[in-house]
Amino acid sequence: MIQLKNITKVFNQGKPNEFTAIDGVSLSIDSNKVTVFEGPSGSGKTTLLSLIGCMSRPTSGRIHLMDQEITSLPERFLTEIRRKTFGFVFQHFHLIQSITTLENVMLPAYPSGEKHSALRKRAMELLDLFNISSKATVKVKWLSGGEAQRVAIARALINNPSVIIADEPTAHLDTKLSLELLEILGKLKNNQKTVLIASHDPFIFESAIVERLIRIRDGKIDGRAA
Amino acid sequence: MIFHPAIIALILSSIFISFLMTYSSYFSFLIQRKWDLKSGSDLQLTLERRTYLVSTILPYVFAFQILSFFLYIYTADQLHTLFVGAMCAAGSLYVNSYGYPTLILKGVNFLLAGLWLILNYVDNRGYDYPLIKKKYAFLLFMTPFILAELILQANYFFRLRPDIITSCCGTLFSGEGKSLAADIVALPSLPLKVAFYLSMFLTLLSGIYFCRHGRGGYIFAGMSALTFVISLLSIFSFISLYIYELPTHHCPFCILQGGYGYIGYPLYLTVLGGALSGMGVGILSPFRNTKSLSAVIPSVQRKLALTSVLLFLIFTVIVSVRMLISDFILEGY
Repeated sequence: MIQLKNITKVFNQGKPNEFTAIDGVSLSIDSNKVTVFEGPSGSGKTTLLSLIGCMSRPTSGRIHLMDQEITSLPERFLTEIRRKTFGFVFQHFHLIQSITTLENVMLPAYPSGEKHSALRKRAMELLDLFNISSKATVKVKWLSGGEAQRVAIARALINNPSVIIADEPTAHLDTKLSLELLEILGKLKNNQKTVLIASHDPFIFESAIVERLIRIRDGKIDGRAA
Repeated sequence: MIFHPAIIALILSSIFISFLMTYSSYFSFLIQRKWDLKSGSDLQLTLERRTYLVSTILPYVFAFQILSFFLYIYTADQLHTLFVGAMCAAGSLYVNSYGYPTLILKGVNFLLAGLWLILNYVDNRGYDYPLIKKKYAFLLFMTPFILAELILQANYFFRLRPDIITSCCGTLFSGEGKSLAADIVALPSLPLKVAFYLSMFLTLLSGIYFCRHGRGGYIFAGMSALTFVISLLSIFSFISLYIYELPTHHCPFCILQGGYGYIGYPLYLTVLGGALSGMGVGILSPFRNTKSLSAVIPSVQRKLALTSVLLFLIFTVIVSVRMLISDFILEGY
Protein backbone atom coordinates (compact mmCIF):
# COMPACT_ATOMS: atom_id res chain seq x y z
CA MET A 1 0.00 0.00 0.00
CA ILE A 2 1.29 3.43 -0.95
CA GLN A 3 -0.29 6.42 0.74
CA LEU A 4 0.10 10.04 -0.31
CA LYS A 5 -0.92 12.71 2.18
CA ASN A 6 -1.48 16.23 0.93
CA ILE A 7 1.43 16.13 -1.51
CA THR A 8 2.50 19.37 -3.17
CA LYS A 9 5.38 19.83 -5.55
CA VAL A 10 6.37 23.34 -6.55
CA PHE A 11 9.20 24.01 -8.98
CA ASN A 12 11.22 27.24 -8.79
CA GLN A 13 9.51 28.18 -5.56
CA GLY A 14 9.60 31.90 -4.78
CA LYS A 15 10.79 32.80 -8.27
CA PRO A 16 8.78 34.54 -11.01
CA ASN A 17 8.54 31.26 -12.92
CA GLU A 18 7.17 29.32 -9.92
CA PHE A 19 5.12 26.35 -11.06
CA THR A 20 2.93 24.07 -8.96
CA ALA A 21 3.11 20.64 -10.61
CA ILE A 22 1.24 18.76 -7.88
CA ASP A 23 -1.26 20.52 -5.70
CA GLY A 24 -2.36 18.87 -2.46
CA VAL A 25 -2.82 15.33 -3.71
CA SER A 26 -3.94 12.67 -1.21
CA LEU A 27 -4.58 9.11 -2.25
CA SER A 28 -4.00 5.45 -1.46
CA ILE A 29 -2.68 2.96 -4.00
CA ASP A 30 -3.31 -0.74 -3.41
CA SER A 31 -0.54 -3.28 -3.76
CA ASN A 32 -0.48 -5.93 -6.51
CA LYS A 33 -2.73 -3.97 -8.83
CA VAL A 34 -2.31 -2.04 -12.07
CA THR A 35 -3.03 1.64 -11.53
CA VAL A 36 -2.94 4.17 -14.33
CA PHE A 37 -2.51 7.93 -13.91
CA GLU A 38 -4.20 9.53 -16.85
CA GLY A 39 -4.16 13.15 -17.87
CA PRO A 40 -3.00 15.59 -20.54
CA SER A 41 0.60 16.65 -20.99
CA GLY A 42 1.75 18.86 -18.13
CA SER A 43 -0.95 17.61 -15.77
CA GLY A 44 1.62 16.31 -13.24
CA LYS A 45 1.58 12.54 -13.94
CA THR A 46 5.33 12.17 -14.33
CA THR A 47 6.02 14.40 -11.33
CA LEU A 48 3.69 12.32 -9.20
CA LEU A 49 5.36 9.07 -10.29
CA SER A 50 8.81 10.52 -9.59
CA LEU A 51 7.66 11.48 -6.08
CA ILE A 52 6.22 8.02 -5.41
CA GLY A 53 9.38 6.40 -6.77
CA CYS A 54 11.63 8.52 -4.50
CA MET A 55 13.24 10.16 -7.52
CA SER A 56 12.37 13.58 -6.14
CA ARG A 57 11.05 15.03 -2.91
CA PRO A 58 7.76 16.86 -2.42
CA THR A 59 7.62 20.50 -1.38
CA SER A 60 5.18 19.52 1.34
CA GLY A 61 3.23 16.44 2.37
CA ARG A 62 4.25 12.89 3.22
CA ILE A 63 4.35 9.58 1.37
CA HIS A 64 4.08 6.26 3.19
CA LEU A 65 5.29 3.05 1.62
CA MET A 66 3.66 0.20 3.53
CA ASP A 67 4.21 1.44 7.10
CA GLN A 68 7.28 3.51 6.43
CA GLU A 69 7.25 7.24 5.86
CA ILE A 70 9.70 7.80 2.99
CA THR A 71 9.73 11.52 2.22
CA SER A 72 11.77 12.42 5.31
CA LEU A 73 14.36 9.70 4.80
CA PRO A 74 17.95 10.79 4.34
CA GLU A 75 19.30 10.13 0.87
CA ARG A 76 21.34 7.04 1.83
CA PHE A 77 18.13 5.27 2.90
CA LEU A 78 16.15 6.53 -0.08
CA THR A 79 18.71 5.05 -2.46
CA GLU A 80 18.23 1.67 -0.86
CA ILE A 81 14.42 1.88 -1.11
CA ARG A 82 14.61 3.11 -4.71
CA ARG A 83 16.86 0.21 -5.60
CA LYS A 84 14.95 -2.54 -3.83
CA THR A 85 11.33 -1.42 -4.08
CA PHE A 86 10.95 0.34 -7.41
CA GLY A 87 11.70 -0.59 -10.99
CA PHE A 88 11.50 2.20 -13.53
CA VAL A 89 10.56 2.06 -17.20
CA PHE A 90 11.18 5.48 -18.69
CA GLN A 91 9.41 7.04 -21.65
CA HIS A 92 12.66 7.20 -23.65
CA PHE A 93 13.96 3.97 -22.05
CA HIS A 94 17.26 5.64 -21.00
CA LEU A 95 19.32 2.61 -21.93
CA ILE A 96 23.07 3.03 -22.35
CA GLN A 97 23.56 2.72 -26.07
CA SER A 98 27.21 1.74 -26.19
CA ILE A 99 27.03 -1.34 -23.94
CA THR A 100 25.30 -4.65 -24.49
CA THR A 101 21.75 -5.61 -23.70
CA LEU A 102 22.90 -7.93 -20.93
CA GLU A 103 25.09 -5.27 -19.31
CA ASN A 104 22.22 -2.77 -19.41
CA VAL A 105 19.97 -5.20 -17.60
CA MET A 106 22.61 -6.03 -14.98
CA LEU A 107 23.64 -2.44 -14.33
CA PRO A 108 21.10 -1.42 -11.61
CA ALA A 109 22.12 -4.45 -9.53
CA TYR A 110 25.85 -3.72 -9.47
CA PRO A 111 25.71 -1.59 -6.28
CA SER A 112 24.14 -4.53 -4.41
CA GLY A 113 27.46 -6.36 -4.57
CA GLU A 114 25.79 -9.57 -5.69
CA LYS A 115 28.05 -12.21 -7.18
CA HIS A 116 28.53 -11.49 -10.88
CA SER A 117 27.72 -15.02 -12.05
CA ALA A 118 24.44 -15.09 -10.08
CA LEU A 119 23.52 -11.67 -11.40
CA ARG A 120 24.30 -12.67 -14.96
CA LYS A 121 22.14 -15.79 -14.61
CA ARG A 122 19.22 -13.73 -13.32
CA ALA A 123 19.59 -11.16 -16.10
CA MET A 124 19.61 -13.93 -18.72
CA GLU A 125 16.43 -15.40 -17.19
CA LEU A 126 14.74 -12.02 -17.54
CA LEU A 127 15.88 -11.66 -21.13
CA ASP A 128 14.51 -15.17 -21.73
CA LEU A 129 11.21 -14.17 -20.18
CA PHE A 130 10.89 -11.35 -22.68
CA ASN A 131 12.22 -13.42 -25.60
CA ILE A 132 15.31 -11.32 -26.25
CA SER A 133 18.04 -13.55 -24.86
CA SER A 134 19.39 -13.93 -28.39
CA LYS A 135 20.27 -10.22 -28.28
CA ALA A 136 22.13 -10.42 -24.95
CA THR A 137 25.53 -9.64 -26.43
CA VAL A 138 24.27 -7.05 -28.91
CA LYS A 139 24.84 -3.39 -28.16
CA VAL A 140 21.62 -1.56 -27.38
CA LYS A 141 22.09 0.92 -30.22
CA TRP A 142 21.45 -1.91 -32.70
CA LEU A 143 18.10 -2.94 -31.15
CA SER A 144 14.68 -2.12 -32.58
CA GLY A 145 12.22 0.03 -30.58
CA GLY A 146 10.28 -2.99 -29.33
CA GLU A 147 13.43 -4.83 -28.32
CA ALA A 148 14.76 -1.77 -26.50
CA GLN A 149 11.51 -1.49 -24.62
CA ARG A 150 11.68 -5.11 -23.48
CA VAL A 151 15.26 -4.55 -22.36
CA ALA A 152 14.09 -1.51 -20.37
CA ILE A 153 11.45 -3.63 -18.64
CA ALA A 154 13.93 -6.43 -17.94
CA ARG A 155 16.27 -3.85 -16.43
CA ALA A 156 13.45 -2.53 -14.24
CA LEU A 157 12.94 -6.05 -12.88
CA ILE A 158 16.56 -7.00 -12.18
CA ASN A 159 16.39 -6.07 -8.50
CA ASN A 160 13.06 -7.88 -8.14
CA PRO A 161 11.14 -4.74 -7.08
CA SER A 162 7.62 -4.91 -5.74
CA VAL A 163 6.53 -1.79 -7.63
CA ILE A 164 7.01 -1.13 -11.36
CA ILE A 165 6.71 2.48 -12.48
CA ALA A 166 6.24 3.09 -16.18
CA ASP A 167 6.09 6.60 -17.59
CA GLU A 168 4.24 6.88 -20.92
CA PRO A 169 5.38 3.41 -21.94
CA THR A 170 3.55 3.40 -25.27
CA ALA A 171 4.53 6.89 -26.38
CA HIS A 172 6.92 5.57 -29.03
CA LEU A 173 5.29 2.25 -29.83
CA ASP A 174 3.04 1.10 -32.63
CA THR A 175 -0.11 -0.92 -31.94
CA LYS A 176 1.62 -4.30 -32.14
CA LEU A 177 4.31 -3.30 -29.69
CA SER A 178 1.77 -1.66 -27.40
CA LEU A 179 -0.17 -4.94 -27.28
CA GLU A 180 3.05 -6.75 -26.49
CA LEU A 181 3.67 -4.30 -23.64
CA LEU A 182 0.20 -4.84 -22.20
CA GLU A 183 0.80 -8.56 -22.28
CA ILE A 184 4.04 -8.09 -20.32
CA LEU A 185 2.35 -5.79 -17.79
CA GLY A 186 -0.35 -8.43 -17.35
CA LYS A 187 2.38 -10.98 -16.54
CA LEU A 188 3.88 -8.63 -13.98
CA LYS A 189 0.51 -8.15 -12.32
CA ASN A 190 0.06 -11.91 -12.13
CA ASN A 191 3.48 -12.08 -10.46
CA GLN A 192 2.14 -9.95 -7.57
CA LYS A 193 3.79 -6.74 -8.73
CA THR A 194 2.24 -3.34 -8.18
CA VAL A 195 2.24 -1.54 -11.53
CA LEU A 196 1.93 2.24 -11.76
CA ILE A 197 1.63 3.75 -15.21
CA ALA A 198 1.44 7.35 -16.34
CA SER A 199 -0.22 7.57 -19.73
CA HIS A 200 -2.55 9.60 -21.86
CA ASP A 201 -2.86 6.81 -24.38
CA PRO A 202 -6.43 5.35 -24.43
CA PHE A 203 -4.88 2.09 -25.56
CA ILE A 204 -3.40 1.79 -22.08
CA PHE A 205 -6.06 3.20 -19.79
CA GLU A 206 -8.92 1.45 -21.59
CA SER A 207 -7.12 -1.89 -21.37
CA ALA A 208 -8.70 -4.73 -19.40
CA ILE A 209 -5.60 -5.20 -17.24
CA VAL A 210 -6.02 -1.76 -15.66
CA GLU A 211 -7.77 -2.02 -12.32
CA ARG A 212 -7.77 1.59 -11.29
CA LEU A 213 -7.69 4.81 -13.25
CA ILE A 214 -6.76 8.07 -11.59
CA ARG A 215 -7.36 11.21 -13.62
CA ILE A 216 -5.04 14.13 -13.04
CA ARG A 217 -5.48 17.65 -14.29
CA ASP A 218 -3.51 20.74 -13.30
CA GLY A 219 -1.74 18.83 -10.56
CA LYS A 220 -4.93 17.71 -8.86
CA ILE A 221 -6.94 14.53 -8.87
CA ASP A 222 -9.82 15.09 -11.21
CA GLY A 223 -11.88 12.00 -10.53
CA ARG A 224 -11.45 8.27 -10.10
CA ALA A 225 -12.63 5.22 -11.91
CA ALA A 226 -11.94 1.56 -11.47
CA MET B 1 50.76 42.30 11.24
CA ILE B 2 53.31 40.06 9.58
CA PHE B 3 52.42 38.83 6.11
CA HIS B 4 53.14 35.16 6.21
CA PRO B 5 51.23 32.61 4.06
CA ALA B 6 50.22 30.55 7.10
CA ILE B 7 48.94 33.64 8.95
CA ILE B 8 46.83 34.67 5.98
CA ALA B 9 45.55 31.09 5.63
CA LEU B 10 44.65 30.93 9.33
CA ILE B 11 42.88 34.29 9.33
CA LEU B 12 40.94 33.63 6.13
CA SER B 13 39.94 30.14 7.17
CA SER B 14 38.87 31.39 10.57
CA ILE B 15 36.68 34.06 8.95
CA PHE B 16 35.21 31.44 6.63
CA ILE B 17 34.57 28.98 9.47
CA SER B 18 33.00 31.70 11.61
CA PHE B 19 30.74 32.78 8.77
CA LEU B 20 29.54 29.22 8.22
CA MET B 21 29.10 28.70 11.94
CA THR B 22 27.00 31.86 12.20
CA TYR B 23 24.78 30.67 9.38
CA SER B 24 24.61 27.19 10.93
CA SER B 25 23.64 28.74 14.26
CA TYR B 26 20.71 30.46 12.64
CA PHE B 27 19.79 27.13 11.08
CA SER B 28 20.29 25.39 14.45
CA PHE B 29 17.95 27.88 16.03
CA LEU B 30 15.30 27.07 13.42
CA ILE B 31 15.80 23.35 14.04
CA GLN B 32 15.30 23.82 17.79
CA ARG B 33 12.16 25.86 17.28
CA LYS B 34 10.46 24.38 14.23
CA TRP B 35 11.64 20.80 13.69
CA ASP B 36 8.73 18.35 13.68
CA LEU B 37 9.30 15.12 11.79
CA LYS B 38 5.60 14.24 11.94
CA SER B 39 4.70 17.34 10.00
CA GLY B 40 4.77 17.36 6.22
CA SER B 41 4.81 21.14 6.08
CA ASP B 42 6.74 23.14 3.55
CA LEU B 43 9.07 24.43 6.30
CA GLN B 44 9.76 20.98 7.74
CA LEU B 45 10.70 19.58 4.32
CA THR B 46 12.89 22.61 3.68
CA LEU B 47 14.66 22.02 7.01
CA GLU B 48 15.16 18.35 6.10
CA ARG B 49 16.72 19.31 2.77
CA ARG B 50 18.89 22.00 4.32
CA THR B 51 20.20 19.75 7.04
CA TYR B 52 21.83 17.60 4.32
CA LEU B 53 23.65 20.69 3.11
CA VAL B 54 24.77 21.77 6.59
CA SER B 55 25.82 18.31 7.71
CA THR B 56 27.75 17.83 4.47
CA ILE B 57 29.62 21.13 4.63
CA LEU B 58 30.41 21.21 8.34
CA PRO B 59 32.58 18.07 8.43
CA TYR B 60 34.95 19.78 5.98
CA VAL B 61 34.83 22.97 8.03
CA PHE B 62 35.61 21.11 11.24
CA ALA B 63 38.28 19.02 9.59
CA PHE B 64 40.08 22.28 8.85
CA GLN B 65 39.30 23.57 12.34
CA ILE B 66 41.07 20.51 13.72
CA LEU B 67 44.03 20.93 11.37
CA SER B 68 44.25 24.63 12.17
CA PHE B 69 45.28 23.77 15.74
CA PHE B 70 48.48 22.24 14.47
CA LEU B 71 48.92 24.88 11.77
CA TYR B 72 48.70 27.57 14.44
CA ILE B 73 51.44 25.96 16.54
CA TYR B 74 53.55 25.33 13.43
CA THR B 75 53.12 28.97 12.38
CA ALA B 76 54.07 30.26 15.82
CA ASP B 77 57.12 28.02 15.69
CA GLN B 78 58.07 29.28 12.23
CA LEU B 79 57.74 32.92 13.34
CA HIS B 80 60.08 32.67 16.32
CA THR B 81 63.07 33.80 14.26
CA LEU B 82 61.42 37.20 13.84
CA PHE B 83 61.27 38.04 17.53
CA VAL B 84 64.21 38.88 19.71
CA GLY B 85 64.39 36.42 22.58
CA ALA B 86 62.09 33.78 21.10
CA MET B 87 63.56 30.29 20.66
CA CYS B 88 60.42 28.45 19.60
CA ALA B 89 56.61 28.82 19.47
CA ALA B 90 56.60 29.55 23.22
CA GLY B 91 58.29 32.90 22.65
CA SER B 92 56.21 33.76 19.56
CA LEU B 93 52.97 33.12 21.43
CA TYR B 94 54.20 35.34 24.27
CA VAL B 95 54.71 38.35 21.97
CA ASN B 96 51.30 39.66 22.98
CA SER B 97 48.59 38.65 25.41
CA TYR B 98 46.45 36.91 22.76
CA GLY B 99 48.82 34.13 21.71
CA TYR B 100 48.23 31.66 24.54
CA PRO B 101 44.47 32.25 24.94
CA THR B 102 44.13 31.55 21.21
CA LEU B 103 46.12 28.35 21.59
CA ILE B 104 43.97 27.16 24.49
CA LEU B 105 40.78 28.02 22.62
CA LYS B 106 42.02 26.19 19.55
CA GLY B 107 42.63 23.15 21.72
CA VAL B 108 39.12 23.37 23.16
CA ASN B 109 37.64 23.84 19.68
CA PHE B 110 39.67 20.87 18.45
CA LEU B 111 37.91 18.64 20.97
CA LEU B 112 34.48 20.23 20.44
CA ALA B 113 34.74 19.95 16.66
CA GLY B 114 35.82 16.32 16.95
CA LEU B 115 32.92 15.46 19.25
CA TRP B 116 30.47 17.18 16.91
CA LEU B 117 31.84 15.19 13.98
CA ILE B 118 31.24 11.97 15.92
CA LEU B 119 27.66 13.01 16.71
CA ASN B 120 27.05 14.02 13.11
CA TYR B 121 28.49 10.77 11.76
CA VAL B 122 26.15 8.74 13.94
CA ASP B 123 23.10 10.93 13.33
CA ASN B 124 23.53 10.56 9.57
CA ARG B 125 23.22 6.80 9.99
CA GLY B 126 19.77 6.93 11.56
CA TYR B 127 16.76 7.00 9.25
CA ASP B 128 14.76 9.37 11.46
CA TYR B 129 17.33 12.11 12.31
CA PRO B 130 17.64 10.72 15.85
CA LEU B 131 20.19 13.23 17.17
CA ILE B 132 19.25 16.21 15.08
CA LYS B 133 18.17 18.53 17.90
CA LYS B 134 21.07 17.51 20.11
CA LYS B 135 23.72 17.92 17.47
CA TYR B 136 22.43 21.34 16.46
CA ALA B 137 22.16 22.40 20.10
CA PHE B 138 25.80 21.38 20.43
CA LEU B 139 26.56 23.48 17.36
CA LEU B 140 24.87 26.47 19.00
CA PHE B 141 27.02 25.89 22.07
CA MET B 142 30.17 25.76 19.93
CA THR B 143 29.59 28.91 17.93
CA PRO B 144 30.68 31.42 20.62
CA PHE B 145 33.92 29.47 21.05
CA ILE B 146 34.62 29.58 17.32
CA LEU B 147 33.82 33.30 17.14
CA ALA B 148 35.97 33.98 20.21
CA GLU B 149 38.80 32.12 18.52
CA LEU B 150 38.43 34.32 15.44
CA ILE B 151 38.65 37.47 17.55
CA LEU B 152 41.55 36.31 19.70
CA GLN B 153 43.49 34.91 16.76
CA ALA B 154 42.95 38.09 14.72
CA ASN B 155 44.12 40.17 17.67
CA TYR B 156 47.17 37.98 18.07
CA PHE B 157 48.21 38.17 14.42
CA PHE B 158 47.31 41.83 13.88
CA ARG B 159 49.30 42.86 16.94
CA LEU B 160 52.45 41.01 15.95
CA ARG B 161 55.39 43.41 15.62
CA PRO B 162 58.80 42.14 14.55
CA ASP B 163 60.58 44.59 16.85
CA ILE B 164 59.07 43.18 20.02
CA ILE B 165 61.40 41.61 22.55
CA THR B 166 59.83 38.50 24.01
CA SER B 167 60.81 35.81 26.48
CA CYS B 168 62.30 32.46 25.58
CA CYS B 169 60.79 29.16 26.62
CA GLY B 170 63.51 28.66 29.21
CA THR B 171 62.12 31.64 31.10
CA LEU B 172 58.46 30.98 30.45
CA PHE B 173 58.56 27.35 31.52
CA SER B 174 60.95 27.48 34.40
CA GLY B 175 59.78 26.27 37.78
CA GLU B 176 60.88 29.42 39.51
CA GLY B 177 58.27 31.87 38.24
CA LYS B 178 54.83 32.65 39.64
CA SER B 179 52.73 31.72 36.60
CA LEU B 180 50.46 28.72 36.03
CA ALA B 181 53.09 27.26 33.69
CA ALA B 182 55.69 27.62 36.43
CA ASP B 183 53.40 25.84 38.89
CA ILE B 184 52.87 23.02 36.44
CA VAL B 185 56.54 22.49 35.67
CA ALA B 186 57.30 22.61 39.35
CA LEU B 187 55.06 19.58 39.98
CA PRO B 188 57.07 16.76 41.56
CA SER B 189 58.04 14.33 38.81
CA LEU B 190 57.86 11.01 40.66
CA PRO B 191 54.22 11.28 41.85
CA LEU B 192 53.26 12.57 38.42
CA LYS B 193 55.00 9.62 36.76
CA VAL B 194 53.01 7.27 38.98
CA ALA B 195 49.80 9.17 38.19
CA PHE B 196 50.60 9.09 34.45
CA TYR B 197 51.24 5.34 34.25
CA LEU B 198 48.38 4.50 36.60
CA SER B 199 45.82 6.60 34.74
CA MET B 200 47.07 5.28 31.41
CA PHE B 201 46.85 1.69 32.66
CA LEU B 202 43.30 2.22 33.96
CA THR B 203 42.26 3.93 30.71
CA LEU B 204 43.62 1.10 28.59
CA LEU B 205 42.02 -1.45 30.90
CA SER B 206 38.61 0.25 30.83
CA GLY B 207 38.93 0.68 27.04
CA ILE B 208 39.68 -2.99 26.48
CA TYR B 209 36.85 -3.94 28.84
CA PHE B 210 34.48 -1.70 26.87
CA CYS B 211 35.60 -3.20 23.55
CA ARG B 212 35.00 -6.73 24.85
CA HIS B 213 31.80 -6.28 26.83
CA GLY B 214 30.28 -3.05 25.52
CA ARG B 215 29.87 -1.72 29.05
CA GLY B 216 31.53 1.02 31.07
CA GLY B 217 31.44 3.68 28.35
CA TYR B 218 31.18 6.58 30.77
CA ILE B 219 34.06 5.31 32.92
CA PHE B 220 36.27 4.90 29.86
CA ALA B 221 35.33 8.37 28.57
CA GLY B 222 36.03 9.92 31.97
CA MET B 223 39.34 8.09 32.23
CA SER B 224 40.30 9.29 28.72
CA ALA B 225 39.64 12.91 29.71
CA LEU B 226 41.57 12.51 32.95
CA THR B 227 44.50 10.78 31.24
CA PHE B 228 44.55 13.54 28.64
CA VAL B 229 45.00 16.18 31.34
CA ILE B 230 47.59 14.12 33.23
CA SER B 231 49.48 13.43 29.98
CA LEU B 232 49.66 17.14 29.16
CA LEU B 233 50.91 17.89 32.67
CA SER B 234 53.43 15.07 32.29
CA ILE B 235 54.76 16.53 29.05
CA PHE B 236 55.40 19.77 30.90
CA SER B 237 56.72 18.18 34.02
CA PHE B 238 58.94 15.24 33.09
CA ILE B 239 58.47 13.91 29.51
CA SER B 240 60.02 17.02 27.99
CA LEU B 241 63.04 16.70 30.29
CA TYR B 242 63.82 13.22 28.96
CA ILE B 243 63.53 14.45 25.37
CA TYR B 244 65.77 17.49 25.92
CA GLU B 245 67.99 15.61 28.38
CA LEU B 246 68.13 18.78 30.42
CA PRO B 247 66.85 19.02 34.00
CA THR B 248 65.45 22.55 33.68
CA HIS B 249 64.01 22.74 30.16
CA HIS B 250 60.26 22.07 30.28
CA CYS B 251 59.16 23.70 27.02
CA PRO B 252 56.20 21.89 25.38
CA PHE B 253 56.99 23.48 22.00
CA CYS B 254 60.67 22.79 21.35
CA ILE B 255 59.75 19.10 20.96
CA LEU B 256 58.00 20.13 17.74
CA GLN B 257 61.29 21.16 16.18
CA GLY B 258 63.51 19.20 13.81
CA GLY B 259 66.31 19.08 16.35
CA TYR B 260 64.22 16.66 18.40
CA GLY B 261 62.96 14.67 15.42
CA TYR B 262 59.59 16.44 15.44
CA ILE B 263 58.65 14.04 18.24
CA GLY B 264 56.10 16.53 19.57
CA TYR B 265 53.77 16.01 16.61
CA PRO B 266 53.19 12.27 17.15
CA LEU B 267 52.96 12.90 20.91
CA TYR B 268 50.30 15.59 20.63
CA LEU B 269 48.46 13.85 17.80
CA THR B 270 48.18 10.57 19.68
CA VAL B 271 47.20 12.09 23.01
CA LEU B 272 44.62 14.43 21.45
CA GLY B 273 43.28 11.69 19.17
CA GLY B 274 43.12 9.24 22.08
CA ALA B 275 41.28 11.71 24.27
CA LEU B 276 38.87 12.70 21.52
CA SER B 277 37.90 9.16 20.54
CA GLY B 278 37.69 8.14 24.20
CA MET B 279 35.38 11.04 25.03
CA GLY B 280 33.43 10.23 21.85
CA VAL B 281 32.47 6.90 23.44
CA GLY B 282 30.96 8.80 26.36
CA ILE B 283 29.09 11.33 24.26
CA LEU B 284 27.35 8.51 22.36
CA SER B 285 26.47 6.42 25.40
CA PRO B 286 23.19 8.21 26.27
CA PHE B 287 21.83 7.34 22.81
CA ARG B 288 22.59 3.62 22.78
CA ASN B 289 18.93 2.73 23.24
CA THR B 290 17.65 5.00 20.48
CA LYS B 291 15.75 2.63 18.18
CA SER B 292 17.19 3.74 14.85
CA LEU B 293 20.74 3.80 16.26
CA SER B 294 20.69 0.64 18.32
CA ALA B 295 22.68 -1.23 15.67
CA VAL B 296 24.93 1.70 14.79
CA ILE B 297 26.16 3.12 18.10
CA PRO B 298 27.70 -0.01 19.66
CA SER B 299 29.77 -0.59 16.55
CA VAL B 300 30.89 3.07 16.32
CA GLN B 301 31.67 3.13 20.05
CA ARG B 302 33.74 -0.02 19.77
CA LYS B 303 35.75 1.48 16.89
CA LEU B 304 36.25 4.70 18.85
CA ALA B 305 37.35 2.82 21.95
CA LEU B 306 39.77 0.73 19.92
CA THR B 307 41.18 3.86 18.27
CA SER B 308 41.55 5.55 21.63
CA VAL B 309 43.28 2.55 23.22
CA LEU B 310 45.62 2.26 20.26
CA LEU B 311 46.53 5.97 20.25
CA PHE B 312 47.08 6.12 24.02
CA LEU B 313 49.18 3.00 23.76
CA ILE B 314 51.33 4.52 21.01
CA PHE B 315 51.71 7.66 23.12
CA THR B 316 52.82 5.60 26.13
CA VAL B 317 55.23 3.54 24.04
CA ILE B 318 56.84 6.65 22.51
CA VAL B 319 57.19 8.27 25.93
CA SER B 320 58.46 5.12 27.64
CA VAL B 321 60.97 4.25 24.92
CA ARG B 322 62.26 7.79 24.99
CA MET B 323 62.67 7.62 28.76
CA LEU B 324 64.39 4.23 28.60
CA ILE B 325 66.88 5.03 25.85
CA SER B 326 67.70 8.45 27.26
CA ASP B 327 70.99 8.87 29.12
CA PHE B 328 69.22 11.38 31.30
CA ILE B 329 68.39 10.41 34.89
CA LEU B 330 65.67 12.66 36.24
CA GLU B 331 65.22 11.56 39.82
CA GLY B 332 67.58 13.41 42.11
CA TYR B 333 67.09 16.83 40.51
